[in-house]
Amino acid sequence: MSQAMIRVQAVTKSYRRGGETLVVLDKLNLQMEEGRFYALMGPSGSGKTTLLNLIGGLDQPDAGELYVSGENLSDLSKGELANWRAANVGFVFQGFNLIPVLSAFENVELPLKLTPLSRKERREHAEHALKLVGLEDRMHHRPKQLSGGQEQRVAIARAVASDPKVILADEPTGDLDRKSAEQVLELLVRLNREFKKTILMVTHDPHAAAHAQSIVHLDKGQLGSIVDNQPMALGPK
Amino acid sequence: MASMKLVWRNLMRHPLRSVLTILSLTVAIFLICGLRTLITTLNAGVANADNRRLAVMSSTGLFVELPMKYQAQIDRLDAVEQTTKFQWFGGYYRSPKNFFAQFAIDPATLFSMYPECQVPPEQQQTFLKNRVSCIVGKGLAADYGWKVGDTVPIIGALHPHPENKAWEFYVAGVYRSDAPNFDNRTLFFHWDYYEKTLESGGVTPGVGVFSIRVKPGTDVPQVIADVENLFKDSEQLVSCETEAEFQRQFVTMFGNIPLFVGWIGGGVVLAILLACVNTMLMSMREQTTDIGILKSIGFSDRSMFGLLIAQSLFLCTLGGALGLLLARGTQPMVSNWFAATFPGYAITNGTYLFASAVTLGLGIAAGVMPAMQARRLRCVDALRGMD
Repeated sequence: MSQAMIRVQAVTKSYRRGGETLVVLDKLNLQMEEGRFYALMGPSGSGKTTLLNLIGGLDQPDAGELYVSGENLSDLSKGELANWRAANVGFVFQGFNLIPVLSAFENVELPLKLTPLSRKERREHAEHALKLVGLEDRMHHRPKQLSGGQEQRVAIARAVASDPKVILADEPTGDLDRKSAEQVLELLVRLNREFKKTILMVTHDPHAAAHAQSIVHLDKGQLGSIVDNQPMALGPK
Repeated sequence: MASMKLVWRNLMRHPLRSVLTILSLTVAIFLICGLRTLITTLNAGVANADNRRLAVMSSTGLFVELPMKYQAQIDRLDAVEQTTKFQWFGGYYRSPKNFFAQFAIDPATLFSMYPECQVPPEQQQTFLKNRVSCIVGKGLAADYGWKVGDTVPIIGALHPHPENKAWEFYVAGVYRSDAPNFDNRTLFFHWDYYEKTLESGGVTPGVGVFSIRVKPGTDVPQVIADVENLFKDSEQLVSCETEAEFQRQFVTMFGNIPLFVGWIGGGVVLAILLACVNTMLMSMREQTTDIGILKSIGFSDRSMFGLLIAQSLFLCTLGGALGLLLARGTQPMVSNWFAATFPGYAITNGTYLFASAVTLGLGIAAGVMPAMQARRLRCVDALRGMD
């Protein structure tokens, strides 16, 4: 059995809204293996995105401990957490979240600027990542000159450019048409199978979740179930 | 730091807004250069005053004349090396709008008392020999196109010609002065001509200011006291001051101009600072999601602070640099405009440095608040577009 890439131990997270405390994650325990593709499902407000943000080091739990890639995130300062994110995690968001004033190439190159790579090496890595998502001919286009599907593929290229171990995707197909969504899901499956990336994808869509190897259900901030899944075969290219 | 490319592209999200802010800064820095130059020009005379020269005038005020006989009494003081006299003429050339300074002086002592007044030797000789001649500053000659040999009619507004006509002066020479305390836009003519002409009309002329040069090593405060005591029982009490003090009083005669100009300059800086802060806050608000993206990628809080400060500095430096260039480029023109009221207007290196420091200060001050917001912004809030 593979070792745990993500270990969530008794994690609690709550928010204050309008004077009330809303417990989003309640002493959650969860373990995810290295190199697997997980779909994280559950009703709205079940804590999916909150959990994703905690695992990605974008937010910190009120209680409990989070180990990702062997690192206890609670031990890291804000600056250390930023460095850790740069080296270990790639994010894919529902709204693509590309920097609008930068070209596709410049967006993909951004995380590489935090590495010691030379300018030439950065260029090679960014071009390689764009080639991987099939957008090498769009590298000088700005986000607004791309379709939604293309934007999300650029976001995936940016997420993998610095070769992180974990890719966290928050509803990556939520804003896409069926065809584009399928292309994005195929890309994530490829990244998992060929490059052994550990992927955690938040989704409401059972069809999208069917591409994952395991489906984690959250309900009211607690673990509902983890179901192993026979992922769908990749469609024709 | 993300990159200078990102800094530039963020500023160009709204090109019109950025260009307008840059132009506002250009005008502000141009104004600051101009206003500070007014102060430095006014103070130049004080700073460059000769510490061996003293000015003697009526204790009542500059426009009250002293009897001519005082000069001989001052000359008799042991500490006095030389004296000369000045009388403000207060005329104009053809039309009252052509106003500039004219003085009746003693040609025999002017050049030795004021070596900063440089006249070619042959022109100086002509001036000394011809009692209806004058010398004019090179700035004045350039303004009115006068040259040696011309005859210049001056209407004596303060001292009308007894024959009710213009005073005519033969231009014997054009002087130049590199010293800020000796203006290049003045006309000097013979005391003798002035005195005799007025006496022919039954007017006895007086002296506006006696200028004294004391011997080297003299106790100046003691000489000042001696001169004032000399006339304490006379018809006109006198006030004796160092040249620097005299210049200072001349500057403040119109009120505290440096303070007034300083207030205007401060107002300009404050107004442009508020405009820049507003621009940068709007810019930061538009970049909220981008800041979240950059932080999620791994850029630190500190680098987000730097990104916003860099944008502010870039905006202000560009506007400031254009303002400095504008001030430098228009200096000859502005100098001509102010020729009569602020002779010797010239932007000093100190003013360029001051304006550069103001530019940098504005860049930092305008960027600090949005940069702090960017630094503090939580990644998850920023990604939701909450600033």
